[in-house]
Amino acid sequence: MSSVSSSSPDSSEPSLAGPAPALFYVEDEDNDVFFLKRALGRAGVTVRLTSVTDGDKAIEYLSGRPPYEARELPRLVLLDLNLPARSGFEVLEWLRQQPGLSALPVVIFSSSGRPEDREKARRLGANDYMLKPASSAQFTALVTDLWTRWLSPEAGRVEPGKDQA
Amino acid sequence: MNDIFAFLYRPRIAPRDGLSLLFFVALTALAAWLRLNAYGDRIITLSYGLPLLFCLWYPDRRLLWGLVGVSCLLATWKTFFQTPVIGVDVDISMWVIQLFNTFAIATVVHLVLDFLARLGAQKTLLEKINDKLVAREQEITRQNEELQTQAEELAQQNEEIQQQSEKVQHQSGELQVQSDELHALNIELGKRQALLETLLGAIQVTKQDQDLPDRICQALLTLFEGSASATAVLEKSSGKLLLQAHAGAVRPQRLSWEFAHSFASVVMTHDRTAFVADLQTRPDLIVPQPAIGAWRSVLSAPLRVNGSPIGSLEVYSDQPREWTTQEFKILEWVAAQCALIIEVRGLHTELRRANTDLDRAVRERTAELQEMVNELEYFSYTITHDLRSPLRAMHGFAEILTEELEPLLNEQSRLYLGRMTTSATRMDRLITDALSFSKVMRHEMDTTPQDPAALLIGMIESYPMFQPPRAFVRLEGAFPPILANEAGLTQCFSNLLGNAVKFVEKGRLPELTVRAEPRDGFVRIWFEDNGIGIAPDMQARVFVMFQRLTKEYEGTGIGLALVKKVAERMGGRVGVDSEPGRGSRFWVEFKSA
Repeated sequence: MSSVSSSSPDSSEPSLAGPAPALFYVEDEDNDVFFLKRALGRAGVTVRLTSVTDGDKAIEYLSGRPPYEARELPRLVLLDLNLPARSGFEVLEWLRQQPGLSALPVVIFSSSGRPEDREKARRLGANDYMLKPASSAQFTALVTDLWTRWLSPEAGRVEPGKDQA
Repeated sequence: MNDIFAFLYRPRIAPRDGLSLLFFVALTALAAWLRLNAYGDRIITLSYGLPLLFCLWYPDRRLLWGLVGVSCLLATWKTFFQTPVIGVDVDISMWVIQLFNTFAIATVVHLVLDFLARLGAQKTLLEKINDKLVAREQEITRQNEELQTQAEELAQQNEEIQQQSEKVQHQSGELQVQSDELHALNIELGKRQALLETLLGAIQVTKQDQDLPDRICQALLTLFEGSASATAVLEKSSGKLLLQAHAGAVRPQRLSWEFAHSFASVVMTHDRTAFVADLQTRPDLIVPQPAIGAWRSVLSAPLRVNGSPIGSLEVYSDQPREWTTQEFKILEWVAAQCALIIEVRGLHTELRRANTDLDRAVRERTAELQEMVNELEYFSYTITHDLRSPLRAMHGFAEILTEELEPLLNEQSRLYLGRMTTSATRMDRLITDALSFSKVMRHEMDTTPQDPAALLIGMIESYPMFQPPRAFVRLEGAFPPILANEAGLTQCFSNLLGNAVKFVEKGRLPELTVRAEPRDGFVRIWFEDNGIGIAPDMQARVFVMFQRLTKEYEGTGIGLALVKKVAERMGGRVGVDSEPGRGSRFWVEFKSA
């Protein structure tokens, strides 16, 4: 588990007045975490990123069990599907059954484009489904999209939880 | 008398005139000679009338009355002129008498002639009547004869009818007998049919194996109704004779006997049907005796399965009796059917066992295959995910290197980094394409009616690469609906469209015309491009997996192989018609909806 605070070097955004929004990223691939962090920097958005590497840890974190008593509920959960231990689907299914967590926005972030996976994610209550991009330019574009739709203070006023694609 | 009468009654024919005149002259001369010359002196009272009597023979009234006139003249002459001459006194009274006599005789003769004439007429009439009567009589006789003949004929016919009637009666009797026989045969046949149905039914009974011999025994007992009291199926098993089934009012005493001394063993050893008329004469033979009473006679036939006897079919009677040939035949027939059924049942059981084994094997194999397929699917998924992750990392880091080391890179190292990224991209596409292909191989393609034009327009509108200014794609004419799977059809079309706009000389605007052509239950969709074209000897290769014709264009060599496979899975076909430098005409064909 790694908890990283990523901040933009030139903070020209007016929304910086409040605390940066929290993003919880469940990903076993270090490279992808690295690419995301880099893309966040390149897109110039500031989030407090927390990432864990498997499904069990994700559930522990979100339910606030030790050692995550001090955890803060994220504004968005970015969830990979193919994880060690419990899979992304299981995490999603569990999440939607928790009274305090069921409304949490979840975006699936996977390298699988299979229609079956998309359909299953939609059925289990995922808010969006994004394919992992191949190039760094695409990564940056994706992060910008995430910011506008889910993370920015303005995004809260837009009805989250609806598929806006 | 008769002759006289006949003479008198002879029909008078008036004499001829000449003859009458002759007679008149002759008689006149004779009377004149006699009166005047021969007997001139004598007076004969009647003589003047006598010649008149001649007229009775010669019935001419002119002659009669002529002679009367002559006689009167002669009497007058003699009385008044001749006799006085000779001296005799005229006697007036004599003259009157003479004239009177003459007239009297003449009148009598006349009346007689008249009477005779009338008699003759009467006779003629009578004769005519008589003739008629005779004719009538003859007629009646003839008719009588005819009637007689007819009566005889009628009698004859009557007799014939009588005979035929008897014959018919006889035949009727025979028919009645035949009918009775037929009825009996019918009943017999009915029984046999019932038995046959039982036997056939027994073949179909698959679960109640024990039931079969019982049914046969029961049916056999019905066939021997009245002549047998019980029936049994016996089978040889390891030195024992086992009772497999029986039918009859009384149950057998036991269920197994010593085979060695049984009547069944005799029948089986000689392999022929036999009977014992009275079992009391053969106390040495073992026969399955009933619990109450005793059988006095037995008829037994061997049951042959695969040519060798395995048991016997027996009927028993509580009276000593000789068994008839008919009963022999029936028992042998039933035994043959029974054995056949036992044989068939055996085969059935074997077949069932084989089927069950086969079923199990198939199920196991299917399960194994299903497991393999599942594993393969999981493997594919893993490949998508795990194999592509490091690739994406390679790609990403190569890009980062290019970006961050930009000022330090020389031409060469920039090229190398570029090659790394394109290779990683290419590898990624190879993996995705290969996965699509294997998916097509594995998944069922359900076909439904599709509108190809709508699908094509949707694709062209969604992808800028098919739109001006990058390409010019045109749909021409009508597109009939086709039978296809939507996802598969999308794959076909996107690959064909993608190929058409990709393989074009650099600097040339890709132009593509798509049109449909109905072909005998199919619809062929043509994709005509202005691309680089394909040499005829290479055309077959374009649909082969991983087969690429040029290195100048990016590609995995899977696209057209995928199109071919997908089209074939949907019952369609694919082909190309092309010349280098003059564009290609790819076509894909599906059943029309």
